[in-house]
Amino acid sequence: MRLMMLSANEAKRLKPGLFTGLVLVLGLLLVQLVQLGLNMALTQDAYYLSKLSSEKRQLATEVQIIQEQVDSLASPQNLADAANRLGMVANPSAVLIDIVNDKIYGSPKPAQAQASAASANLVANSALVTVSEFTASSVAAASVESSVADQPQASSQVALVAGQIPASPTR
Amino acid sequence: MGNHASVTRRLSLFALLLVLLVVALSIRLVDFQIVRADEIRTESLESRKETRTLTALRGDILDSNGEVLARTVFRYDINAAPKNVGPVIRYVDGNRTEISVQAAADELSRILELSPTEVLEKISGDSAYSNLAKKVDATVYNQIRDLDIPWIYWDRFAYRLYPNGAVAGNVLGFLSSDGTALAGLERQYNSCLAGVDGQETYERSAEGVRIPTSNVVTQPTQDGGALNLSIDANLQFFAQQVLAKSVSDLSAEWASAIVVEAKTGRILAAAEAPTVDPNDPGLSAPVDRGSRIMQFAFEPGSVMKSLSTAMILDSKTATIYETVNAPDRLKLKYGESIKDSFSHEPYQLTLAGVLRYSSNTGIYSFGMKVDEKTRFNYLQKFGFGKTTDLNFEGESSGILRPYDEWQYADRYTHLFGQGVAVTPLQMAFAYQAIANDGVRLSPSLVDSCVSPTGETLYAPERTSTRVISKDAANMNLQLMEKVVQYGGVGKLAGIPGYRVAGKTGTAEIREGAGYGERFAISFFGVAPVEDPRFIVGVTIYKPVGETNSVKATGPFKAIMQQALKHYRVPPSTSAPRDDIPSNRFGQTGE
Repeated sequence: MRLMMLSANEAKRLKPGLFTGLVLVLGLLLVQLVQLGLNMALTQDAYYLSKLSSEKRQLATEVQIIQEQVDSLASPQNLADAANRLGMVANPSAVLIDIVNDKIYGSPKPAQAQASAASANLVANSALVTVSEFTASSVAAASVESSVADQPQASSQVALVAGQIPASPTR
Repeated sequence: MGNHASVTRRLSLFALLLVLLVVALSIRLVDFQIVRADEIRTESLESRKETRTLTALRGDILDSNGEVLARTVFRYDINAAPKNVGPVIRYVDGNRTEISVQAAADELSRILELSPTEVLEKISGDSAYSNLAKKVDATVYNQIRDLDIPWIYWDRFAYRLYPNGAVAGNVLGFLSSDGTALAGLERQYNSCLAGVDGQETYERSAEGVRIPTSNVVTQPTQDGGALNLSIDANLQFFAQQVLAKSVSDLSAEWASAIVVEAKTGRILAAAEAPTVDPNDPGLSAPVDRGSRIMQFAFEPGSVMKSLSTAMILDSKTATIYETVNAPDRLKLKYGESIKDSFSHEPYQLTLAGVLRYSSNTGIYSFGMKVDEKTRFNYLQKFGFGKTTDLNFEGESSGILRPYDEWQYADRYTHLFGQGVAVTPLQMAFAYQAIANDGVRLSPSLVDSCVSPTGETLYAPERTSTRVISKDAANMNLQLMEKVVQYGGVGKLAGIPGYRVAGKTGTAEIREGAGYGERFAISFFGVAPVEDPRFIVGVTIYKPVGETNSVKATGPFKAIMQQALKHYRVPPSTSAPRDDIPSNRFGQTGE
């Protein structure tokens, strides 16, 4: 250890400045604060991410539930059963109209309630869980309580151009 | 100065201690940071690391219109930890409510459709695991999850769902409960459908939340590819409906119908009744879980005659105008005799007449003019005696003995469909050859396998075999048309507006050394004759009390008519040729 003689000015120069110290402390504090802020944000995001993944899983489950319902409703077994419950029967006699040669193929016959072709479903489906639900009255009401606005009716009067009945340009 | 020396000594001692401390800390630091760094890092990671298998989803199976026939969904096993069972605390609008075990059991029982007693039994005890319900769907799972009972947990697993049930079940096949493909296309195309499971490793905090920026090592999952079939689910359903009704009306053992696109070899429907619902294969008898169309070979009977006439025409052995004497019974040189299915005066039959009256004696007289080796070669080219390129699981090759091993009846019975065993698939494709200008195509059930990224992983190679000439094929089709135009039974297969060609079959079924009393009745046909689009082959096996193929024509007509309607095939614009002799006097007309 050595002692030295210093002048008052020299001693003043060697003494650490208050300003420098303040900058250092504030700087360190700032760095700590920023780090804290970043850490908080990251942690928050981790929880947010976790919440979103769980939400995603739940939505995927919802999609699956709805998808399975749609599958079930769209299955031919449900459609056949629903049609049958509405009183529809398959008509095996197809009739074709040949507009080019003015011919009709096949003889039109009304569908029979006891038709030979199967109408109700005969094919097993254990995945058939959701089925079309309706009653005769709800089906009848559906056509009345349509949310679609009625279309303006075209005039039922046939407009005659030059005294001729207009014909479809099909042929 | 003494004081100064003391201060200096104390300072030196302090400095020494400080140096020692720094050295000690440095050694420790080097030990932790460098020497044992890996070991410590691994240990630390192990305590936070979580490894999870990411299940790859098995690909969908779709029909030709993109309708899903098989998809992978999730199902849940609902379990309880009886040792943790206790009252459940819930907060409703901020109010703490305690739900008793009994009340919680009631809630569970309602959702799981069990009795409260059953639930209480399952959750009592001090074990860590008790299963409450297996394989529940997502709706039930959601309800259970919403109950928020801390001692209830679940296992999620992938499950194969067949939304259309037994529609094409015979072709699709099915999986075991652990997801192993057991049958059908599921098994045959497992490498396309099954994905590759992935793995994910991440670090998590004590609360189970994933630590951000933690080193996630992931082996990505590769979901399975989608298998696109040529099957049309609507047509398939229609055909299955028709067959189910026939089987029930006729008390038959089973029935099958195959619809083939004439110019591509794509199988649009391969329907059977009874068949399997792949959602629950256990509900069907084991014999009904496969596909008889591909796997069951039997003596086809008279449907074979139109192939015999094809070889006679192609080998130019006879023209369509030549006739043979066709009595109802013909005695052969070894003392045996062949007979027709009905008694009649001797007919003079052309090739078309043979088909129209389904005369065994007539086809014998024509067919024996073709040498055995040639006939055998034709039969091979028609695809008999070996499996097709479909390579369906358990596909049968049928039975076609080599011509040099033919003995006695073997030499001729194949002309009218006995002594050879064929599958409905083989027979349909022999007819396909006739409908497609004499070229037999490889059958296909699968159009492609497409990866989730849209890359085509597999598309079947289509092969073709020239069986007979184009002229012979088209002429033969017109001979077959006479069956539907004039034939007693065949007429019932006619579809107004369309030209239809086909052949009836009433095959005897071998039982022991002889033949039994029940038959395999069938009708195989093509429409429209002038530009064939479809081949439909219907077989009804062992109907009770049916001794002819009348009851096979109805299903044929219904299915062919549906196919023509469904695919918007315009009616025929030409009429059948009227200069082809087919009546019993070897003349044209009725």
